[in-house]
Amino acid sequence: MTLLAHAIAASPPATLSQEGLRGRPLAWSEAGDLGLWSTEWAPDIKLERPDALEHHRLIERICAAQPCLPVRFGTAFATSDDARASLDKRAAALHAALTRVAGKTELALTLLWRESPGPLLIESAAGPGRQYMETRRAEFAAREARRARAETMVDRVVAELTIDRQLVWHETCTSDNVAVSLAVLVPTEQAAERKAELERVAARFPDVIPVLNGPWPPYTFARTD
Amino acid sequence: MKELTAEDTSLLELVDRLLNKGVVLAGEATISVAGIDLIYLGLNVVLAAVETIEKAQERRAS
Repeated sequence: MTLLAHAIAASPPATLSQEGLRGRPLAWSEAGDLGLWSTEWAPDIKLERPDALEHHRLIERICAAQPCLPVRFGTAFATSDDARASLDKRAAALHAALTRVAGKTELALTLLWRESPGPLLIESAAGPGRQYMETRRAEFAAREARRARAETMVDRVVAELTIDRQLVWHETCTSDNVAVSLAVLVPTEQAAERKAELERVAARFPDVIPVLNGPWPPYTFARTD
Repeated sequence: MKELTAEDTSLLELVDRLLNKGVVLAGEATISVAGIDLIYLGLNVVLAAVETIEKAQERRAS
């Protein structure tokens, strides 16, 4: 029986409904004072897109019952012993990560540029080679200006919310649309209040459209590497 | 370039977390379910459809 992993938690396990993905049995594999929540899966059943969203809902359910570390979707173990061995190998790091996220939840802020970068038309009396180089230089300068603007917005969000930098993760300009993708780890009981603050700060940036998500399980802050 | 809606963005952010974040356990056991690679590919293609595929189509058309 294959185990499809969902989340790691400290033992003892919380009392949960025994229904895992697609109604299959939810299992707990214990290794020392840690354990893995997983669904008893059959290797011949292929995972599909709705399974990813159900995996998310399961993690939400587990995290609501006890502090947990979400496991990347699609992680599977051939046996419960394999799952235990995997936890044993990383026990110290997993404990540290569990301590980091206990009682906390993740909020996500995405800032989308209101305007796409337009095509750059450089007028030049020089030849096509020079014009090409000048266009390339102008495109590079425009990209750098956008990146700098995005970093400025991140700095402002962090400063105005007075968040510890270690509890913030961000990337800038990951595509033509996205200025900032930011995640912040906040105490669960303050999630609504912090989300409203994020919304207020982000609404002051005239050149982007803010999209707020969460509270979510602490996906971004669960990494142990 | 297609503009991302708030709904697109929310789904992209969530799926990005499910596929790219979270604890990575024991690499050798991680891909033990048949077809996982294809599933990842399938999900990524669905996500890429929001803009990457459109870009590719624009390139082909030009």
